[in-house]
Amino acid sequence: MSLGTFADSRSLTLGVELELQIVGTHDYDLSPSAKDLLRLMAKRKIPGAVTPEMTDSMIELCTGVCNNHGEVLAQLKEIRDALVDSADRLNVGLCGGGTHPFQDWSQRRIFNRPRFQQLSELYGYLSKQFTIFGQHVHIGCPGPDQALVLLHGMSRFIPHLIALSASSPFVQGTDTGFHSARLNSVFAFPLSGRAPFVTTWDDFKAFFDKMTRTGVVESMKDFYWDIRPKPEYGTIEVRVLDTPLTIEKAAALAGYIQCLARWLRIERPFEPAEDDYLPYTFNRFQACRFGLDGVFVDPKTGEHRTLREDILVTLGALEIHAMELQAEEAIRTIRMEVARDGNDATWIRATHERERLLNEVVRQQCLRWAGRHG
Amino acid sequence: MLAEMAGYLQIDPWPPAPDLLFWGALMLVGGGLLGEAVFRRLGLPRIVGYSAAGMAVALAGQGLDAGRLAGGVRLVVDLALALLLFELGSRVNLRWLRANPALLWTSAAESLASFVAIFVALRWLGQPVNVALTLATMLVAASAAVVGRVASELRSAGQVTERMIVLTALNTLYAVLLHKLVTGWLHLDEAGNWIQGITQPVYTFVGSVALAIALAKLVAWVARRLELRDENSVLLLLGLVVLALTTAQLFNLSTLLVPLMAGVMLRNTTERPWVWPRHFGTAGGVLVLMLFVIVGAAWSVEAVMLGAGAAALVLAARAAAKALAVVGLARWSGIETRQGLALALALTPISGTALVLLADLHRSHPDFALGIAPIVLSAIAFMELLGPIAVQWGLRLAGETQPRHRPAAAPAPGGTV
Repeated sequence: MSLGTFADSRSLTLGVELELQIVGTHDYDLSPSAKDLLRLMAKRKIPGAVTPEMTDSMIELCTGVCNNHGEVLAQLKEIRDALVDSADRLNVGLCGGGTHPFQDWSQRRIFNRPRFQQLSELYGYLSKQFTIFGQHVHIGCPGPDQALVLLHGMSRFIPHLIALSASSPFVQGTDTGFHSARLNSVFAFPLSGRAPFVTTWDDFKAFFDKMTRTGVVESMKDFYWDIRPKPEYGTIEVRVLDTPLTIEKAAALAGYIQCLARWLRIERPFEPAEDDYLPYTFNRFQACRFGLDGVFVDPKTGEHRTLREDILVTLGALEIHAMELQAEEAIRTIRMEVARDGNDATWIRATHERERLLNEVVRQQCLRWAGRHG
Repeated sequence: MLAEMAGYLQIDPWPPAPDLLFWGALMLVGGGLLGEAVFRRLGLPRIVGYSAAGMAVALAGQGLDAGRLAGGVRLVVDLALALLLFELGSRVNLRWLRANPALLWTSAAESLASFVAIFVALRWLGQPVNVALTLATMLVAASAAVVGRVASELRSAGQVTERMIVLTALNTLYAVLLHKLVTGWLHLDEAGNWIQGITQPVYTFVGSVALAIALAKLVAWVARRLELRDENSVLLLLGLVVLALTTAQLFNLSTLLVPLMAGVMLRNTTERPWVWPRHFGTAGGVLVLMLFVIVGAAWSVEAVMLGAGAAALVLAARAAAKALAVVGLARWSGIETRQGLALALALTPISGTALVLLADLHRSHPDFALGIAPIVLSAIAFMELLGPIAVQWGLRLAGETQPRHRPAAAPAPGGTV
């Protein structure tokens, strides 16, 4: 399969994909109800789409192409409301969170679709451990070269996005100590990590052809990179975010990414270089493990500061772009988060501390997702 | 010679006269072994083996006498059913019925159609109205014991499993209420005592609800303070259910309604999810095993000779009625026809509930009970083995059991967690 051509898309347009958990309302364990939910959703008119995912207790929703944060939030709300209504009819709950806190992966069933069954054959238990839930954000790029430059510029901020979105502290019933344990599962895949440092589409094509010749990959889908180009849409796709607990947070993160993209494109605050990736895995680990309190090593200066500090500095630089993009609300939400809880992982831990029952934590996650919390 | 030696060894009496405990233990071992064999070799639910052990006892002529439940046996049946009903009730989310009214209609249609089908079939066979009416109330409900047990054993999850549980809880509720009304009417019919005919069902209902509320409140109170997954607190929970049950017996309330409604109330008056080990741990597991052996032993050859024909017709009519109602409303309620069929299949079992209603009838209307016993016992005998298998088929048809479920690697029993 060839790489195909890079589709046209309007610069800085937005698209959001969210993978969601489907849980039973009896014990709040994952419930294999994707098929039933999809059947009910088929009768609904919604923007974007709802599609099956790897195992039958997850579901993915995506918005259409949006221009700004407000549109993303409006579309997410419409899809969310339709989904929650359908879920109510089936007596199941829906929630965000990068992992289900106590599900037993050996109990998961792979959704019956050829691609999923193939992946399951290949990856074995990894594919069931892959019962993790992420948010993907697409940013429209005017051309493939610009897309690659943006991709490498955005890489500096991957730790920001991990720390802000982290919502997976628990796995298999235990506190992992991580803010985003979900990403540990992603890193287990052979083709995860970062894209090679090439800044033109021709070089990227050459890389892709070499990879396909080895037989290791067939299509872009086989790369589980943190950010990858999506030629069919003409976008780059940021894939490190845990699914947040609320649509408001999901929309705010999309808005933050859009502002970053505009800043990088218009002001070019730094020149991307291969050496930027030297502290990359260190920074990423810090963000996964410690969230906003993690150490961030500035790739250009080698300075150490906390992620919280680096985010606050970045937010300052984004103000003007937020105004241009009508994303002030998004930036305000992020600012408040950084000042308060920090991220959803902290909320989940605090709730567990209070309730001492992970089933109850998931129930409250469902309330937050449905927008029914106080 | 032997007797002398026995005397010398102070074995008294001689020959040995094993008591109830001995038979009970033997039943436990036999049922347990047969259950395991059936599960591993044939891939069937273990309760098929438990029931088969009971049926063998009955075949040897040692079964229950016309479905009467005497002393200790009645206690075991009541306790085990109470646990299963409480578990089942605690999974009924009434909010679901509001969000999906088609499900409530399915419940009403399924129960009403079964009731009418059984009544009409019996009338067609020439049974008098009071017999047909009483039998219809006793056989309308699906077996909470079989449904609850098979679902947890197969670790099934999904729409059919959830709906099977809710519909069973609801039709058990209707059946018990209707049964009380009809037995009240029997008073009216036989003794002409209309005050008793009305006040008794009302007393049973109101009293049972009051006791159920008390139980639900106590359980919620305990659960807020203790960790329910802990073995000790589960014993406390078990104790509460048993206490409520014995209280129900003392005041002649319904031993079926109290635990079922307590479960429903617990689920619907508190937000916090309820998780405890399946059947309240090992103690409950033992009771459940014994329940199925006892119900399996309920039939007798004479009863089946008398009632088999009528029971077969009634069961066929009942199954058809349930299928018609459930499949007919499947799409409207949000499931596929195939799932509807699976659900109808899963609602066919008859077991402990019917036996307890018969035993109650033996106490209140002995002669009348004796007359209808053959049909009830035949129906139980038929469905005792077929019921669990039907539930298993249904859940498999719906694709809700674990794929490649290998008994050798079966996870540790218990635990919704």
